Amino acid sequence: MSSTAADMRRDVPQAAGGAGDDIAVRFSGVAKRFGDVVALNDVSLAIRRGELMTLLGPSGCGKTTLLNLVAGFFSPDAGQVLIGDELVNNVATYKREIGMMFQNYALFPHMTVAANVGYGLKMRRLPRADIERRVGDVLALVKLAGLQERKPRQLSGGQQQRVALARALVINPRVLLLDEPFSALDKNLRASMQVELREIQRTLGVTTIFVTHDQSEALSLSDRIAVMLEGRVRQVGAPAEIYAQPCERFVASFVGDANVLRGRLDRVAGGEAIVALGDARVKVSAVPLTGLASAAAVDLFVRPEQMQVSDAPGPCASVGTVAAQIYQGGHVDLYLDSVDSVSGRLLVRLPGHEAMTRWPIGARVNISFDRDTAVAFPA
Amino acid sequence: MCARDHVGATVKTQPFLRSFVTPAALCALAFLIAMAAVLQYSLRAYIPGSLDPGGLTLANFTALLKPLYAQVFLNTVWICFLTASYTLIVGYPLAYALVHVRNRFAKSAILITVVTPLFLGEVVRTYSWIIVLGNNGFINSILLQLGIIETPFQFMFTRFGVVVALVHVTMPVMVIMLAAALSHIDRDYLEAAESLGAGRIRAFATVTLPLSMPGIIAGVTTSFAWTFSAFATPQLIGGGQVNMISNLVYQLGFASFNFPFAASLCVAGLALTLAVLSLLRLATRPLEKMGPH
Repeated sequence: MSSTAADMRRDVPQAAGGAGDDIAVRFSGVAKRFGDVVALNDVSLAIRRGELMTLLGPSGCGKTTLLNLVAGFFSPDAGQVLIGDELVNNVATYKREIGMMFQNYALFPHMTVAANVGYGLKMRRLPRADIERRVGDVLALVKLAGLQERKPRQLSGGQQQRVALARALVINPRVLLLDEPFSALDKNLRASMQVELREIQRTLGVTTIFVTHDQSEALSLSDRIAVMLEGRVRQVGAPAEIYAQPCERFVASFVGDANVLRGRLDRVAGGEAIVALGDARVKVSAVPLTGLASAAAVDLFVRPEQMQVSDAPGPCASVGTVAAQIYQGGHVDLYLDSVDSVSGRLLVRLPGHEAMTRWPIGARVNISFDRDTAVAFPA
Repeated sequence: MCARDHVGATVKTQPFLRSFVTPAALCALAFLIAMAAVLQYSLRAYIPGSLDPGGLTLANFTALLKPLYAQVFLNTVWICFLTASYTLIVGYPLAYALVHVRNRFAKSAILITVVTPLFLGEVVRTYSWIIVLGNNGFINSILLQLGIIETPFQFMFTRFGVVVALVHVTMPVMVIMLAAALSHIDRDYLEAAESLGAGRIRAFATVTLPLSMPGIIAGVTTSFAWTFSAFATPQLIGGGQVNMISNLVYQLGFASFNFPFAASLCVAGLALTLAVLSLLRLATRPLEKMGPH
């Protein structure tokens, strides 16, 4: 098994030179419109060799268009798409040496599993014996050994997905493109397939671009995430960075759960700003608040697990009334009514199950935040 | 058995269909009686000079084995084969364009061109072909005037002329069946093929063509069966030089008034049609499995 993986691994040059040598796919200044609709607007993004980059965003944000530009199903109106060092703007799909996994898998219904997986090798005119061996190897890798002669319709959804993955991987693609691959699977299967995909991707070291609108999927799978909205990349970073330091409102609200509280800008000192909310003075990064006057209204974004509740009297950021309790097994979600919240509701996530009895519905609570966790944007 | 169960189930779930049962049964009965009449005529002796048939005999069928008649049967099968093949060759690109052309006007233009023959009677259509194919017809006069040829091509009264006109007849049904099959092929299959290294032509040959096989089989079978009973086209364009079964039946029945022999030709023709179609079905069964379902 491990020898299989080693056989299939592309020679990954260990970055000896600058970071620039290590880019597998690069978009620079890419634009694309369909009729009057601007799908991509000046997108620049570099994907490192061997990393799993997720394009995350709501539908219509341009993430699939960006993926299709790598696949070559159409070419950009402006800008450049490079795979490795090669400018591929006008290179036909079939010459690009990419592997793509489609949302509905697009397995050829008239071919067996072996023929599906071997298709790319056959197109490369490999000898039959080589094809057979490599198909066997990759099917073992995706745990489908022995199913060569089945037809796609005789397979379960999870098995079909493995075949689609094997078919894309067997040609040792320069880039693996995944278009919402898990959307057709039920929740349990999805989780296990995600883990498996991640393992295989790491083992082979194949550069992967993964398109999804599911932020939790993006957080759990990616090396880096590019968050997109309205045809632009809004933020690029590791999942933890995107989650903890969103650079704008959209990213903060799209990735993970967030409570939004209305406060006032107290003062700005160096790179830091102090926001006043109730009795609390909350320290946040000043970058998103650049140019804002003192005492301007700002919105504080606080993650549910970074909020604490207590009934001890004293100064606090806000007060609220418990409106609902949701038991989640490992933690409890408390929904609080609070006037400081922009939506009128706050979500507080408390570990364990004690909160169920400790904070009954109707209880008045004082709310505070963990230090240095909130981010603020102009209201 | 299976079909009857299916009909029963349909009638049960859709009660309004019940009112159609009686008229449908009456129609079926009428057809059966007509068939039975033809069958019994074919087994009666011919009395020259009389319209009434004589006693029971198998002489009509033994007479069919004469080379003259066997030749007509073979000719018919061959014309059907040619027609179905040419219709497929011309119809496939049309159907492909019909499905894939984005421009709405181009789409409508193709559809109208292809479907119009359905709205013209066979005789009108055949006369138009005479105008096109005749010695002083459209094609020949252009070629003559351009000086490309010196004597007109002989299209009329040739098998080629007949097949050309018959291709026109079967084109609508072929294109519609092919377009139906082609439109069910998901674009993703082609993109998948291309992403795996197949150029346009190889993607077509390995994905589109096999996936459209059910449409090809349906189209070829139908155009084969339609052509088998062609009458006006071979009659007018063949002009007695190109004979198909229907023309022979006409000559025997309405020129010689030999009804029993004409009837036996009908029965034999029907049997041949069924035999050829079953053979076709048998031969295409492995291909049908290539389809998407």
